[in-house]
This record gives sequence, C-alpha cells and structure tokens, in this order.
Amino acid sequence: MLKVVNAALVVGLIMSAFVLYSLEHSFRKHERQIIALKQEIHQEGENIKLLKAEWSYLIRPERLERLASEHLQLRQSRPYQLVKHSELAETIPPRRAVEPSDGSTDLIGKMLKALQ
Amino acid sequence: MMVRIDQTAKSGVASGLGGRNRLRLVIVGFAMCFALITGRAAQLSLLAPEVKKIVRDDHYRIPRPDIVDRNGYLLATDIKIASLYANPRKIIDVEEAIELLTAVAPKLDSKVLYKKLTKDRAFVWLKREVSPAQQLAIHNQGIPGVGFRNETVRVYPMGRLAAHALGYVDVDSRGLSGIEKYLDDQGALYTASLAKPEDRAALPAQLSLDIRVQHALTSEIKKAIHVFRAKAGAGVVLDINTAEVLAMVSLPDFNPNDPRQAQDLIRMNRVTSGVYELGSVIKAVTFAMALDTGATTLEGRYDARQPLVIGRARINDFHAQKRILTVPEVFLHSSNIGTARMALDVGLEGHQAFLRKVGLFERLLTEIPEAAAPLLPKRWSKLATVTAAFGHGFAVQPLQGAAVTASLLNGGRLIRPTFLKRERETVDGFAKQVIKPETSEKMRYLFRLNAQRGTARKAAGEALGYRVGGKTGTAEKVINGRYSRNHRLTSFIGGFPMDDPKYVVLVMLDEPQPLKETHGYATSGWNAVPTAGRVIARIAPILGVEPRYDEEERARLTKLRSKDQGY
Repeated sequence: MLKVVNAALVVGLIMSAFVLYSLEHSFRKHERQIIALKQEIHQEGENIKLLKAEWSYLIRPERLERLASEHLQLRQSRPYQLVKHSELAETIPPRRAVEPSDGSTDLIGKMLKALQ
Repeated sequence: MMVRIDQTAKSGVASGLGGRNRLRLVIVGFAMCFALITGRAAQLSLLAPEVKKIVRDDHYRIPRPDIVDRNGYLLATDIKIASLYANPRKIIDVEEAIELLTAVAPKLDSKVLYKKLTKDRAFVWLKREVSPAQQLAIHNQGIPGVGFRNETVRVYPMGRLAAHALGYVDVDSRGLSGIEKYLDDQGALYTASLAKPEDRAALPAQLSLDIRVQHALTSEIKKAIHVFRAKAGAGVVLDINTAEVLAMVSLPDFNPNDPRQAQDLIRMNRVTSGVYELGSVIKAVTFAMALDTGATTLEGRYDARQPLVIGRARINDFHAQKRILTVPEVFLHSSNIGTARMALDVGLEGHQAFLRKVGLFERLLTEIPEAAAPLLPKRWSKLATVTAAFGHGFAVQPLQGAAVTASLLNGGRLIRPTFLKRERETVDGFAKQVIKPETSEKMRYLFRLNAQRGTARKAAGEALGYRVGGKTGTAEKVINGRYSRNHRLTSFIGGFPMDDPKYVVLVMLDEPQPLKETHGYATSGWNAVPTAGRVIARIAPILGVEPRYDEEERARLTKLRSKDQGY
C-alpha cells in the first residue's frame, strides 16, 4: 500500500517538475519576446520622430515656395482673384459675341435650314 | 542483557506508543515544513507575477517636449543620433581599422584617424552624428574597439523660421533663449504639465505661431530689406482678441541649429529685446487718451499754424500744413504740434497715468525671456509730455506697441501678448479695459481713414478689400546722441479688417534708403507701409478674412483684373 502511494508520489513529483520547468521555460521565452518587442517599439518610436522631423524639414514653407516657383506654373494668389459667390456674374469678363462667318446674323435660322 | 530485554519487553506497549508518537511528531513537523514551502512557492509564483527587469532602461528622464505651431507643425524636436567612438587600446590592427572606416565613411580623414587611434587612451570620438545607414555599415564591419554612443540632439527642422521665438539650447539640451529657455525656467510648471510620466514622454508645447503667416511675414520683410537696402527689419502679427502672436520676425535672424550665430548683436530679437522710439505710432495712444478722457472730440480743432514753443525747444511738423486742423486731420497729417497740444490738454498727470495704464511704463514680459524695459524720460516735464505725445524721447518694445494698438482697436481691452496657444474664453479673466468701447470705435475710424486718405494709403492699396487701417511712423534715429535726419526707423502699425478687427500687423524697417521709385523719399509711407500691405494681402486669405470692396476699390479692382492676363 505504502509502496504504491510512494510510487504515485514520485511520478507526481517528476510530472509536476516537468510541467513547472516547461512553464518556466515558456515564461522566460515570452519575457524575452516582450523585452524585444518593447525595444522594437521604442526604436520605431525613435524612427517616427526622425521621420517627423524630416517631414517637417521637407515642408518648410520657404522650400515649398521655391519648389513651386521652379516646377509649377502657379503664382501667388492676389486678393482680386477672389470673388464672392453673389458677385460672380458681374466679374465674368464679357464674352465676345459669336459672329457667324458668312455674314448672316440669324444663327438659329441657319441651323433650322440645315435640319430641313 | 536479560534485564534489558526484559525491560523492553516489559515496557513494550508503552515504548511502542512512545515511538509512534515521536514518528507522528516528525511527520507533522515535516508536513508543516513542506506546507510552508509549498505555500510560499505558490505565493511567489501565482500571487506576485512581477517580472524582474532584465535590461537597464536608460530613458528615465522625461524628455524635453517637442515644440509645434498652432496647427501642429513640428518646430523643434529631440532626435537620437549615434556618434562613433573608439577605444584605441583595444584596436588590434590600426591600419585595417582605418581602411574599413574610410571605406564606409569617406569623409573621415585617414591621417586624423591614425593620430587618434594610436593615442594611448581608452576613449576618443571619431565622428559625431553618424547617419543610421552609416551606423549600420560600420556596425556590420565588426571592428573591435569601435562602437557607438547614442546622443540626444535638439533639432529645428524649419531652420530659421521663427528662430527668435523658439530660441535655442546648449549642448546639454538646456534652453538658452526664447521659448526653449521658458520651458526650463519660468515655464517649468507648464513643461511639467505636458509630461506623461507613465509613457516617459511629453506632449508637445503648442505655440501661438502659425508657420504660414510667419513665412509670409518673413519673406515680405526680407524682400523689403533687400529693395530698400535697410539694415534690419522686424514684424509682428497679433491676434487682436487674444493677443496671441501669430508671427514674429526680426531680420537678420539666425539658425537655431547653429546657435553660435545668435550671439551677434545685429541678429538680436528687435521685437522684444530692443526698445525703439516708435514715433507716430505712439501718436495713436495720445489720440486714444485725449478722446477717452474727453479732452477732445473728433470735431475738435488744433492750431498748427505756428511751431509749438516749450522753453527753448520748438516743435515742428514734418508735413507742415500751417493751418488749423481738425482732429482727424491731425491724425492724417501726423501733426506733431496738434498731438502735443492734445497731450497738454489732458495734462502731465493724466498723460503719465494713461501711459501707465496701457502698460507702456513697465517692461512687457511674455514667455520670451529677452524683454527690454522701456526707456523713459528721467523727469516728466512739460517738454517730456509734449515729445512723448508723438513718440520722441520714449522708447518701448515693438511688441508693446503692437499690444497697445490691439487694445485701441479691439474695443479697449489690453491683453498681455503670448507665444503659447490660448483659448479666446480664457482671455476675459485678465483682459484690462483701458479705453471705452466708443473710443475704440473712434480709433478704428481714424485708422481706417488714415489708410484710405492718409499716410497709410499704400497699405490699403496693396491689400484691396481687406479694410486695412493703420498708422505710420518715421522716427529719426539717435546717432552719437543727436537725432539724425538720414538715419530713420520707419514703421507701420495697423489692423484689418477694420469693420471687425481681427489682426494687428506691425512692420518696422531700420534705415531704409530712398530710391528712385520712391521719388527720393524714405519715410514710412514709401517702404514700411507697402510692405505691410503686401503682408496683409498674403496672410488675409490664410487667416480666412473675406475681401469686401467699396466703390473706389472696385474700380481699381476692375483695372487690375483687366491688366492681369493670367486671370
């Protein structure tokens, strides 16, 4: 009776030791992973900061102005180029009246004639 | 022997019982010990899963906050930069090490390297600020005795833009001027409020500056300095209702990434660390005072036929009209005589009290530590009042001039300017009513009139539709203790749009030269005023101010449009 109990205890002991050590092993592995990830996050954070600084360096208004004048056909807008919605009609430059080439003035009449 | 056996036999039951008891005692003892150990083990493993740190974390210090503009654009940040060092005692083959290093970093001089690597020292810097790509390449070569150290460097990606407001730091990242110094010194509480200790990070410090406005102001003043061959120039754009500084420039400026340049006196911040006789700009203050105290009204008249004689001094007009002027005419012609009489009407006591009330007698302190105290007359005599009325013998920071003008135009509320973003609601807590809202209304009228018909005409001409109003100033500079006719400081201060003022613009040029195009004039109306007009024309669309035209402007507009083929 006692022998059986002892044997069972020994087996139990070995098994629990195995479980314990394998648990600890995986725990250590995860711990290392966490540290590695934390370091990676930190490194990425530093990279982001560096890129942000670089971005800010690239969008300097003075540089954008220079590039725009070199590569674009655009100019600085002038106040008189802004027109209010309600004043749009009076600011449109007068359109040249269409003059028919053959001298006649009745365009619609001509179109109707062509239809017939 | 017998006896002994007998004894045992005799006391068999008793001694057997004693042995069992002892055994039990031992079992219980051991069981308790094991239970204790098991319990402790369980407690350690299950109840307290605290992980012991394996690597040392050296970012304990809360970093210096980044600085961003009011729209979140980055103006200053800390970046980690690797620096290359070597331990010459550990280097086995110097020749090989040099060969490998110069292969990756051609900028390293092999002779200098040889000298450094053959020294009998344990530490020498080889190269500060190595790029990440180079760092990787050198690291991969695996040269013994060569390594990297990370250093935190403060960088200002926008370079010169807003350099005077930002300031700079020393090699140990301690702020030496501008907002950077503020973050360390007076603003330490503010800096602490930005910190997020749990992340070992800090929120960025958000300034009131707007880089778009800052750039527009800088580039227009730069152009003006070039065109008028001026020695220096400065400008400020202020939000009239919150007194936030949207832009502040002083040229020549410096690059905060290379702060050695900043030591030059010519590169100082003229807006806050210099005091200037703002000349006629101060006249506006006299007008506000006279109108507010009731010493005069807009219908009042002043005799400007004769120079004003005070003791041995004679006060003359620059644009002498030699007639009796109405109050608006005194403003438009910038008459010294008229303004002086106005101040005399208020009286010496009242004049001083008013100047003190609008804060022109004390040093204006903002976040920027470089702040100069005003230069005041030593004794406040009748002559002092007369000259101070038109801004002579009385010098203040240009920013102070801008802040006071803002109060004259915004309904009479004097607000301390700030370089940090501010909510409009918070202003009510410390705004100081210095003149009546009705007086402010009258000042707006005078400022607008001056831009329509007076000395500030060219500003309104450059910024059609933005209802500019302004006052100009041309002060003679003191050279060797005397006012010099040929060394001028010209300035413009104004606001827009005048029907509902939102922004104050100040432009100042130091010794602009007369040009053929300006018909030989070098007064403010020919240089500072058109510059300010161009600044307003550029920043008004950015700030969302809608143009609106009166009849006169509409006619000019049509002309401009028809001239402009690109339209």
